[in-house]
Amino acid sequence: MDPFISVTLAVFLPFLLALAVPAVEKLIKHRIGWFASFIALISFLLVISLVPLVIHGEHFQASVEWIPSMGIEYSIYVDGLSILFGIIITGIGIIIMSYSNGYMGLKEDLPRYYQWLLLFMGSMLGMVFAANTIMLFIFWELTSITSFMLIGYWRNKPESVYGATKSLLVTAAGGLFMLAGFIVLRSITGTFDIPAILQNETLIQTVQGHKLFLAALILIFIGAASKSAQGPFYIWLPNAMEAPTPVSAFLHSATMVKAGIYLVARVHPIFSGTEAWFILVSGTGIITMLVAGFLAFRQIDIKALLAYSTISQLAYIMTMYGYTTYQEPGIGVAAATFHLLNHATFKACLFLVAGIVAHEAATRDITRLGGLRHEMPITFIIATIGALSMAGVPPLNGFLSKEMFYESSIEMGHALGSPFTFIIPALAVAGGVFTFAYSIKFIAAIFLGKRPEKGLPSHIHDPSFVMIIPAAFLAGLIILFGLVPSIAVQNLVEPTASSIMMEAQHLHVKLWHGLTGSLVMTLITFLLGIAVYTRYDSIAEWQNSFNRKYPFISINYIYDGLVNNAKGTLKRFSSFMQPGPVKGYVLALLVLMIILFAIPFLKLSTGFIQTLNFNVEPYEFLVFFFMIVAAVGAAVLPKYLPAVISLSALGYLVSLLFIYLSAPDLALTQVLVETLSTIIFLLAIVKIPQTFKEHITPSLFTRDALIAVSVASVVFILLVNATQGIIPPFESLSYYFIEKAWPLAGGHNIVNVIIVDFRGYDTLGEISVMCLAALGVYNLIHSRGESE
Amino acid sequence: MTTVITKMITRICLPLVVLFSISLLLAGHNNPGGGFIGGVMFASIIALSYVVYGLETIKSSFSPDWGKWFGFGLVLAAFTAFAALPFGHNFFRSAVEFLHIPLIGEIELVSAALFDTGVYFVVIGSLLSIFQMVGEDK
Repeated sequence: MDPFISVTLAVFLPFLLALAVPAVEKLIKHRIGWFASFIALISFLLVISLVPLVIHGEHFQASVEWIPSMGIEYSIYVDGLSILFGIIITGIGIIIMSYSNGYMGLKEDLPRYYQWLLLFMGSMLGMVFAANTIMLFIFWELTSITSFMLIGYWRNKPESVYGATKSLLVTAAGGLFMLAGFIVLRSITGTFDIPAILQNETLIQTVQGHKLFLAALILIFIGAASKSAQGPFYIWLPNAMEAPTPVSAFLHSATMVKAGIYLVARVHPIFSGTEAWFILVSGTGIITMLVAGFLAFRQIDIKALLAYSTISQLAYIMTMYGYTTYQEPGIGVAAATFHLLNHATFKACLFLVAGIVAHEAATRDITRLGGLRHEMPITFIIATIGALSMAGVPPLNGFLSKEMFYESSIEMGHALGSPFTFIIPALAVAGGVFTFAYSIKFIAAIFLGKRPEKGLPSHIHDPSFVMIIPAAFLAGLIILFGLVPSIAVQNLVEPTASSIMMEAQHLHVKLWHGLTGSLVMTLITFLLGIAVYTRYDSIAEWQNSFNRKYPFISINYIYDGLVNNAKGTLKRFSSFMQPGPVKGYVLALLVLMIILFAIPFLKLSTGFIQTLNFNVEPYEFLVFFFMIVAAVGAAVLPKYLPAVISLSALGYLVSLLFIYLSAPDLALTQVLVETLSTIIFLLAIVKIPQTFKEHITPSLFTRDALIAVSVASVVFILLVNATQGIIPPFESLSYYFIEKAWPLAGGHNIVNVIIVDFRGYDTLGEISVMCLAALGVYNLIHSRGESE
Repeated sequence: MTTVITKMITRICLPLVVLFSISLLLAGHNNPGGGFIGGVMFASIIALSYVVYGLETIKSSFSPDWGKWFGFGLVLAAFTAFAALPFGHNFFRSAVEFLHIPLIGEIELVSAALFDTGVYFVVIGSLLSIFQMVGEDK
């Protein structure tokens, strides 16, 4: 199949079929999850079919015009990097959606769950295959929104709502920074197309020498860091653990949090090789790696522990991308890519284990778990494989990429020279030590030790095969990639690294490669890790006491302060802007209108029209007379009903005037709208007091009369000037429409042609507003009943 | 409001007005009329019958879900906007075609008329659902 069609199908099939999920659910009931897995399988096969296209580092691009005047296209770019992500997204997608069949209870709102999962998968695929930065941005924000919906899946839990809001605020705001960065990049390069920049050596040099280089880099990196929970933006990820566990495994360990990494890899050729790149990316990476690894100790929720470890592991990858400035760049990129793939396998596996444990033992609290190795032997083995891989123990895949991380850290130290020769490897080892300690803790807290006396269900057992098989499959991959790394390296890592580096890369990964510096570092890591593990609980206790003593030394503290402050301010603002009575709003509008219209006329002091040319027929005087009578009647009549009738009389008289002015469409509309609003008034009138109850004091009367007279004069002056006044005459737009209505749109009624054709897009917007108004009324009426 | 005279007039007017509103919709491209006006006309006569006969009486014999009407209208309008895309034309591109039918003569087919029909349904649906909700509200 044509690669363009394959990619488009892989991206949009999940979107389209997500719409069909509720209908299919009616047919196959709770087996709907398998339908979702099947869709993921189709996307997976479509992505796999593209692998031969890029296996030797080639790439493919195709596009369709979207908004050509702004250089915005639907444009896809297939290379090793996007294929690697595509395989991770769809592959883990199949595993997660199958696993969900066992995890999600039958009473849950399954269609909504699978719909959002599919929408997420589609958005994520769209993002990694996007060649146009604007398209990338749109899919990027779609992943934030779908993630928001999935974290808040249990919408009645306040923690879910808090976590969902936090993730949306942080990641969507980060996305806006990224958009700003893209626009800066466009102002430098003149294009939104990423490959166009990547393939143009001179353009990259222009970017790196440009005075806006730093601005573009920082803005785009803020986007990446917020999505991948790096630096101060890490705070959303632990709270995102309120999502159902399969969602956490899918979005918040394997795919969505890697979007930031993807972005860094995608723009790598543009920005890397500069000092700023190293300081920003590696600096943020190293700090995050250490802080998040350290903070994992005090977590008592197993999912929170995994969340901190995800942050820390992503920071490894970030750091390696940053290293490329000062070393042979291929190594860092390849190591980062390999670790990315390995992390997706072992972390998703551990999350699935966490889900199994929570599902069977009904708790995720490590202080209440323990000693489950006898009751859940299979889960225990799978968890051990996953955790040891995370800890970097041979012969699992985590060991290989951890070795590569150490190796590139040593090189990095050498490149920077003393004292960094020692400092950088030492920091890397420190990160590894934390990882080792909490990996062991994960196993020990759940499966080792003694089973707690109480708090756990009496019968705990391995779950059904629906949940075991996905986790076991991932565990199998961990071992496979560890023992035979060439499978993953040749088919996925090398093409990816080649596409990031824009030249062919070759990698030799072996389990045993002699007693190198990195192996020594690994041994040191294990020794120190065991030492730290023995002090695990006292470290956690120290962290807790520190947090109690200084609660304000925390980014969450700042976040909560900001959000609560914003809530209060907005509340005050909206109660000021919307005090209640409609009269206030009308008053504000009219006063503003007077000011806005009066200013230009006061400035144009050339004077008003000297001679007014009124050609008024006698019958028109009659109409005007009755209009005045009706208007006065509407204002002074003491009861609602007569006042309303008087007002509608005025409306009908206006439509009569339209007929004289040969505007039949307007007249017709006016009559109908007047009729309908009179009927609505009549309907409402039976429910309210029959007389106006507001007491009109003389001062109130003066004020209102003054405003009314001013509005009338402003409108009068405006009209006179518009028809025969001092505003210089300009060519009326109507001639264009009169001329073009028939040849272009095949219509003689120009008003209608404008509405449905020339300005069709406006009309579409207007009818959407009408629908929203109806839905708004529905909500107003129904929510009022609830609050009382 | 619920005198015999108004009831009688409403009853006689109802079919005429509905037909007229449809003719306004169809004639709209070349003569005064269009989806919006037709829709408002349709909505007013239904609203009038609600007021004259009482919401409950009408609903016992004729009670469509107006929410579906505006949903359908919006989808129809959006569909016509996108319909030109697969043929390689721009968003919102309209098409005009003339058909010669024996005995009847020439009929003009405009894709914009389909869009206008969407507008018609949105106007009817949203006005009447608001009307009905306000009317049912105690």
